[in-house]
Amino acid sequence: MIRLYDTIEPNVIDEELLKLAVEEQGPQEEAGQVAKQEGINFKDVRSLQLDFQNILRIDNLWQFENLRKLQLDNNIIERIDGLDSLVNLVWLDLSFNNIETIEGLDNLINLEDLSLFSNRISKMDAMDTLVKLQVFSIGNNMIDNLLNVIYLRRFPELRSLNLAGNPVCENEDYKLFVTAYLGDLVYLDFRLIDAHTREAGFAKYQYSIYELKHRENQMQNKLEEEKANIAELEKHKAAYVEYLNGSYLFDNLYSDDTEAAKLAYLPGVPELLETYKTKFVSICQNIFDYGLIQQEKRTAEVDLFYECLGEALSDNRDLGLKTINEFEKKHVKMLHDIRNANELQVVDAKMSECAEEISHLFDILMTYEMQLVEQLEESINNFERNIIDMVGTFVENVQGLMAQCRDLENHHHEKLLEISINTLEKIVKSEFDEDLPDDVRALFSDKDTVVNAVGASHDIHLLKIDNREDELITNVSNWCSGIVDKVHTDEHNRNRKRVKEINQYIDHLQNELDNLDFGDLLD
Amino acid sequence: MEVLKEKVEEEEAAEREAEAEQAARKAAAEKEESILDRDDLIDLEQKLSEIEVHIPEVPSSIDTSALPESYKTNTAQEKQLLKVADNFAHQYSHLCPDREPLFLHPLNECDVPKFVSTTIRPTLMPYPELYNWDTCADFVSDFLTMVPLPSPIQLVRPEYLFSPTSVLKYQKGNCFDFSNLLCSMLIGSGYDAYCVSGYASQDICLMDLTREVCPLLRKPEEAASQKEKVVPKRYTIKPPKDLRSKFELAQKAKKEAEIAAQEEKKRKEEENKLLELDKPPPDPMHGLRIHAWVLVLCGKREVPESFFIDPFTAHSYGTTDEHFLGIESIWNHKNYWINMQDCWNGCKDLIFDLGDPVRWEFMLFGTDKPYLTMADQEEEEEAADEDDIEILDKEEDKNFDMPLSWVEQIYISAKDFESRCPQGRKVIQYKQCKLEKWAPYLNGNGLVTRLTIYENADCRKVVEVKEWYENREDFLEMRRVDKTTHLTTEYFKPGHFLALREHTYKTMAPETDRSMEFYYDTRVDGLEKRTETPNSMTEYYKDRADYLVYRHVDYGIRLKKFSLNSPDTNPRPMLKITERFDRNLSKLADDDVAERIFVVSDERIQLRYHCRDDYITTSKREFLKRNDVDNKGNKIIMTPDMCVTYEVEPREHTKKLLFQYEMMMNLKNEEKISKHQVWESELEVLEILKTREEEEDTHNLTVSIYDTTRNEKSKGQREALERQAQEEHMRQVEAELDYLAPFLVQLPPGEKLTRWQALRLKDECLNDFKQRLIDKANLIQTRFEKETQELQKKQQWYQENQVTMTLEDEESYLTYCSQAMFRIRILEQRLNRHKELAPQKYLALEEKLYKDPRLIEYLKVFV
Repeated sequence: MIRLYDTIEPNVIDEELLKLAVEEQGPQEEAGQVAKQEGINFKDVRSLQLDFQNILRIDNLWQFENLRKLQLDNNIIERIDGLDSLVNLVWLDLSFNNIETIEGLDNLINLEDLSLFSNRISKMDAMDTLVKLQVFSIGNNMIDNLLNVIYLRRFPELRSLNLAGNPVCENEDYKLFVTAYLGDLVYLDFRLIDAHTREAGFAKYQYSIYELKHRENQMQNKLEEEKANIAELEKHKAAYVEYLNGSYLFDNLYSDDTEAAKLAYLPGVPELLETYKTKFVSICQNIFDYGLIQQEKRTAEVDLFYECLGEALSDNRDLGLKTINEFEKKHVKMLHDIRNANELQVVDAKMSECAEEISHLFDILMTYEMQLVEQLEESINNFERNIIDMVGTFVENVQGLMAQCRDLENHHHEKLLEISINTLEKIVKSEFDEDLPDDVRALFSDKDTVVNAVGASHDIHLLKIDNREDELITNVSNWCSGIVDKVHTDEHNRNRKRVKEINQYIDHLQNELDNLDFGDLLD
Repeated sequence: MEVLKEKVEEEEAAEREAEAEQAARKAAAEKEESILDRDDLIDLEQKLSEIEVHIPEVPSSIDTSALPESYKTNTAQEKQLLKVADNFAHQYSHLCPDREPLFLHPLNECDVPKFVSTTIRPTLMPYPELYNWDTCADFVSDFLTMVPLPSPIQLVRPEYLFSPTSVLKYQKGNCFDFSNLLCSMLIGSGYDAYCVSGYASQDICLMDLTREVCPLLRKPEEAASQKEKVVPKRYTIKPPKDLRSKFELAQKAKKEAEIAAQEEKKRKEEENKLLELDKPPPDPMHGLRIHAWVLVLCGKREVPESFFIDPFTAHSYGTTDEHFLGIESIWNHKNYWINMQDCWNGCKDLIFDLGDPVRWEFMLFGTDKPYLTMADQEEEEEAADEDDIEILDKEEDKNFDMPLSWVEQIYISAKDFESRCPQGRKVIQYKQCKLEKWAPYLNGNGLVTRLTIYENADCRKVVEVKEWYENREDFLEMRRVDKTTHLTTEYFKPGHFLALREHTYKTMAPETDRSMEFYYDTRVDGLEKRTETPNSMTEYYKDRADYLVYRHVDYGIRLKKFSLNSPDTNPRPMLKITERFDRNLSKLADDDVAERIFVVSDERIQLRYHCRDDYITTSKREFLKRNDVDNKGNKIIMTPDMCVTYEVEPREHTKKLLFQYEMMMNLKNEEKISKHQVWESELEVLEILKTREEEEDTHNLTVSIYDTTRNEKSKGQREALERQAQEEHMRQVEAELDYLAPFLVQLPPGEKLTRWQALRLKDECLNDFKQRLIDKANLIQTRFEKETQELQKKQQWYQENQVTMTLEDEESYLTYCSQAMFRIRILEQRLNRHKELAPQKYLALEEKLYKDPRLIEYLKVFV
């Protein structure tokens, strides 16, 4: 882009510039005077216009957290950056600048209207996060690849697109292509797309679009499937029995066990392994099912507790609301009386009466709160006991089942050892006539090696089982203490908040009364 | 009948007992009567005189000439039936000599004895409204006027029972006529219904409803609210400890219970007193009054339990109701049963198993009622079979089906059905109220029902009047006038353009106490209710986009203005506008206004916000609109003390003056809008009142487009169509004029044509036609000649007088000439045409004659 003002020094966005702009564009007239008195906080600014400022670099805008609309058109900006903190931005105008690539827009997830008109952009990309985009203007740029338009299919809300003035528009199929591939588009180059064009476009690119859609659907389905899987796993994790359904744990026992793999070549071992596996898996399945049932019980218990808690709180709240309502009715009447009383003595008497009422209200509200705290404490303790009991039984039962696993492992180990020693004896006596791989045969050089190998395999297995058990128990205990803690802290916070609220309200009433006093004296 | 004999002894014993009892009762009654003082006697006399006033309709007053033959004679089958019935009655009177004679074959309107079962004519009415028993009974009770029996306690000989068709025609009848008609209709629509002849209480027999509560006033029984038992959950908090003395509480409860018991006792006593008052005076003829009603047995048409219908009032009663005191006999269109059960306890102990020959003695054997199912039936099955066969053998000659009804099909015209009551009007006196009914469209203002409620039983002071309307163009459905508070309430059906639902008022003047309810879902502003008092107006809204639910306006006293004083130009000053809003969940509770009060007189605006979920106080804000000037003379725009705020949780931005200023500006705007809306509401009230008054004055009725008799437009159209059809028909008749008729007449009637005759007939016809054609040609010719002669004469005359003629005469001559020439030419054309067509016509006739169905067989040979 050729600029007349190239000779002028580029401008920097500094505080002065921003202040000036904000004041100029802020509230006018009476409101403006008020605003001036107070000063305007950058945080409160909703829209900002910084056009024709010869700005080279976007900078120092981090204070404008709540900015909705930002206009930076007709500057000499070369790179998009410094916009990361403007998360609430809905409208961004960067037209008539010197931008070459789209970048730095990732945080602007609320953006609906984006203008990059008259820049030097040659490719549309890096806008994946702008899912709310509705209006996109990228005319007068250097986009030359028609297929780049397909990138815009990811914006489901996109209704208006301006591409005019790009090299790509010289392509004779440009219009048909865009309308066909962006089916939801209503306006192209600021013109309404008519039904005729849409039909023609559809007819022309029908098959390729079908293919595209098919692929997109497949992707979508895959994603959903994955999501479902993850959700399922999450559910299992919540019950602390993930990967216990099926042979996962069993496979895990043997995954790092090289010795076991070697021993599997011995005669009779595969069969032994097979029975071991079925038994082991069935116990795992037991643990898994039991875990799910227990998880359900725990959630039911927690839900029940929260339900009761909610009821108690809402009852208490209703009581408080009622009290305050009644008080306010009386109070308003009393204030009215005080305002209209003309004798100082009467006023004084009424004032003191009113003050008494207020303190009485404070007493009542605080009593309610104290009552509630006591009641809740009991209830919470009850809940704590129950939930700890529940977790305790769960852990005990799981430990029992795990012990069964260990027994199985021991049993298996003994059998394996027996077979191994038998084999060794046979080999020693050279009665063993089956083929064995060399490394396996190497194991059977002497008794110690064999026993060591079998023992190492056994140790690994036991360790893994122990680890799984430990993991489960720590997780469930953590959850238990976590929820108990949470209930306690929540209750504590609630109590603090309510006390604070009551105090605040009473203070406000007192203040009101005092101010009334002042006013009357002045009169 | 054998069963009857077997039964006799037992029966007689029972009868004797009953007799003794009755005698005892009679003695008691007599004793009582002797105790009766003068007043009671007078009362009795009065009652009796009332009863005796009605002289039964003599059949001669009914026009019997138009009735069909079956009404006037009996068929052989009917005669046989009468014989059977006589025989039956004979045996019955022999076996039960102390029972009343049976109501078996009364005389019909033509003085012909007819068996009661044949008088029932089961007919299914073409109106869907008459498909169910309750609507049928309502119709019968509305349609007929009740005529009391000639004697309330015994059947007068000769007895009369008219056919249902005559009853319908003359719209009056006694209880037998009522039951007969209703029974015919019920059987027709598939119910298992029977006419019952028996005894009932005085109220029922005389159709005295003054001790009944009007059905319109009966309150629907409130479904007992089921209190859900609250099961304390495991973590439900325990209630705070009660620190009061338990002993004191117990004492207190005891005392309260005592007081309550006393009050309850008092109340009961009063109730009993009232009940006593309500009770009818003792009836000397209790248990003897004859009545006829309808019994519907369970089974058919999904009737779960047998019940009685009183045809006079259309009320249904259980079979154990105390109003019904005994049953003599029952019948339907197929059979006749005598009740053999003891009725000492009214109908309470009766069992309606018509298959049980011990309880119900049937007259005709071929009943399709199942026999009583016995427990030991299986064992005796074979024996029973043999018995059956025996019985069948014996009774074969007697066993014949009930002949078909002699009555013509019952027909109710659409007009009669609509007008229901005789002359379309009916008045019923209920307990403490009077009910009047009219046929729709009978009253110009659409009034169909009026219920007048009185203060007490003597019906002097009116408490409330309710009027129901139908087919009103303004959709008015009901109007209720409370005479004690002078409040009028009008209820409207949906569809009025003002969406009015209910309107309660004292006067129609504006700015008075009134309340209007609306169909809020049809209104754009969602207004549900608006109540007014002289100095306030309250509006309730529903389902609005701005969540407004309530607006209340307080008015001050109108300032006096001397120039113009109409409400339009001088509105009442508004003192305070209160608006309440529902919670808008898209906003934070602290930003969502719950109540907004514009104190117009004080220039204050109060805001109260919604309460947060877990808080007990609500944010409040109060603005003082003071347009002061500071000591330098500058206008104060906004100062912190103009806005008093309490916030549940103080927030940063709300403290700012700018925020408060903008809010105040907004509120000022809103205030204007609210004021405008209030003003519009006032205008609307005026408009509604005006419209209502106009509508009340005109009270047009709407006519459904399907109502062919009332819809003027369609009526006109239909009549035009009918006329057209008739004309068309006439033309066709003319076209089909019989050309053979004059010749056939000459032949002797009733005889078959001979061939010769046929030939002659044909020839004569052809000759005649030929003559006619010639005559016609001659006629045309004579006319032609006459015309030409005249013309020639005129021409001569013209030539003679041409010289002396005036211009006018010449003119007239010329016009005459041209006209005459025209006529002559036409005649010439007609003659030519006739000559051309005559032979063709002749041939056509000949052919037609050959093909004529009457001649064809004779002429065929010669063709």
